[in-house]
Amino acid sequence: MVNLVLNENMKIYRRLRTWILIGLMIAFVLFVNIMNWHFDGKSAQGKGWRTELQKEITQWNEVLKQPKLDKQTKKYYQQQIAINEYHLEQNIRSTEGTLWDGVNGSAGMMIVITIFTIIIVGDSVAGEFSSGTIKLLLIRPASRTKILVSKYISLLLFGILLLLTLFVVSVVINGILFGFGHMDLPLIKATAEGQVVESNMLLNLWKTYMLNSVSTVMYVSMAFMISSAFRSSAMAIGLSIVSLFAGNIVMQALQRFDWSKYLLFANTDLTQYLSGLPFQEGMTLSFSITVLIVYFTLFNLISWLIFTRRDVAS
Amino acid sequence: MNTEPVISLIGVTKRIGRTNIIDDLTFDVPQGEIFGFLGPNGAGKTTTIRMIVGLMSITKGQILIKGKNIKTEFEQAIRHVGAIVESPEMYKYLSGYQNLVHYARMVPGVTKDRIDEVVSLVKLENRIHDKVKKYSLGMRQRLGVAQALLHRPSLLILDEPTNGLDPAGIRELRDYLRNLTRTEGITVVVSSHLLSEMELMCDRVAIIQRGKLVNVMPIQHFTQGDDQDQTYLIQAQPSEQALETIKNMDGVRRVNLVEDEKIEVTTDREQIPDILIGLMQNQVRIYGVQLVCQTLEDRFLEITEGGQIG
Repeated sequence: MVNLVLNENMKIYRRLRTWILIGLMIAFVLFVNIMNWHFDGKSAQGKGWRTELQKEITQWNEVLKQPKLDKQTKKYYQQQIAINEYHLEQNIRSTEGTLWDGVNGSAGMMIVITIFTIIIVGDSVAGEFSSGTIKLLLIRPASRTKILVSKYISLLLFGILLLLTLFVVSVVINGILFGFGHMDLPLIKATAEGQVVESNMLLNLWKTYMLNSVSTVMYVSMAFMISSAFRSSAMAIGLSIVSLFAGNIVMQALQRFDWSKYLLFANTDLTQYLSGLPFQEGMTLSFSITVLIVYFTLFNLISWLIFTRRDVAS
Repeated sequence: MNTEPVISLIGVTKRIGRTNIIDDLTFDVPQGEIFGFLGPNGAGKTTTIRMIVGLMSITKGQILIKGKNIKTEFEQAIRHVGAIVESPEMYKYLSGYQNLVHYARMVPGVTKDRIDEVVSLVKLENRIHDKVKKYSLGMRQRLGVAQALLHRPSLLILDEPTNGLDPAGIRELRDYLRNLTRTEGITVVVSSHLLSEMELMCDRVAIIQRGKLVNVMPIQHFTQGDDQDQTYLIQAQPSEQALETIKNMDGVRRVNLVEDEKIEVTTDREQIPDILIGLMQNQVRIYGVQLVCQTLEDRFLEITEGGQIG
């Protein structure tokens, strides 16, 4: 099994294509962070953070004076003000103008990881069929199940590699731009009860990474299924990326239907429970996890059934 | 000596839709034999080979390799098999060596030394670290042979192995296969539509047409017919008198004048001396007697009735 994964890794990393994607990933992270620093972060560096926070508090107080504010929004702004006041009272600077601003912002680029992983996934099974190498691969003393699992593992490893690349590159570039001085800055956040607490910034970052990875794993499983069912790389990559982008738009249109909460796209984003604003009222974290597990099992079961049963005829 | 057949097919049937692509195929191949699998295009050669190596499922019947069922004991059965299924498709973006490492990792016990050994066996030492996309067709074919032999299989399966090889390459492959069966006792199952090739290569051939086994026989029987039914070419003069004489003799199945002075006689082997004595007694002058070997091609066309695709 270890040997099979080594084989799959060799087939991923001995291709120029893979390194172009990793290179692009690095380039994107650098570009976005340098732009962010250039246009936004530079001004907040140094002592500027106090006036920034003060300005925000005044702004939000204005918003709160509006009469027609709904409960949710009101609560949100009150929390934000409380957080800012905590910063000022405790003399803990905000992330604005430190490396954390860029690093946390870069977590939003996980969608790039999803797309790049899908590209490699889509070709993983289908590519073996279109090149004909599948014939020599399946006539070895390794069952089709083992081969499929080793492919899946190697693809997840590729996703993890991209995630580590994102983390390291964003920390290094933001450290260089903003200085490494505020590495130990705590995260100030409000709990659901409205209490302001300090927590670990790094831990929070990885929590965000992990929650976003759930959606990556779902799309990877989906692309993997299409790749082994239709044996077409283009179809697997195309369909998965389209659904990645169209998913949210379609969900907005379907939001009013009760059954739409059972759809995959309503549940892939688990950060909706961090912000306390789920897709439909009454949805809970455990509901979403259950739905995701069902889809995950379904996708991989279909991949497995098709891959292990089908005749290799072409 | 192990008398168990290396591979046996028992009533193997493959149904796609409502038609039986392969219908009730049964045969054994003993150790050390080169077994030819012959048939017109579309007869089911490739399908049969794909069922043997587990690429296609078997609808009915079973295939045993060294006694292991390919369906239920796949890993133990396929361990003994090395194969080239049609043209050997390798990972073009990897080097020849990396391709071999890839396959070596999939079978326990293939060492680095074995890889080097196989590489020198197929004479690819100088180019083995080049990317496969830079290889010529002949080199790819040789790399294909290398990957098939890597794990010292007892059974080598070749589907149309001479496709795309030049005459020198074909000859090389043939000598090489012969050598393997003699020195290592490897059993070879080879499919081809190149009849002349099979004639030179195989010990025994099976003819398959429209998914059915038409005939299995040793290659000598195939080309010479049996002792009771052999054709001779007799050169004699005067030919009219010779023709008359032979026609009146016992045991002659067929006789005709092919061209001036040449008479074709189909008869028992035992009858030939009598025919010659008879001719001489009738003052016919004999210049030559020759056994006519049918080529595999003639027999093949005869058996498959012109070889229509089913």
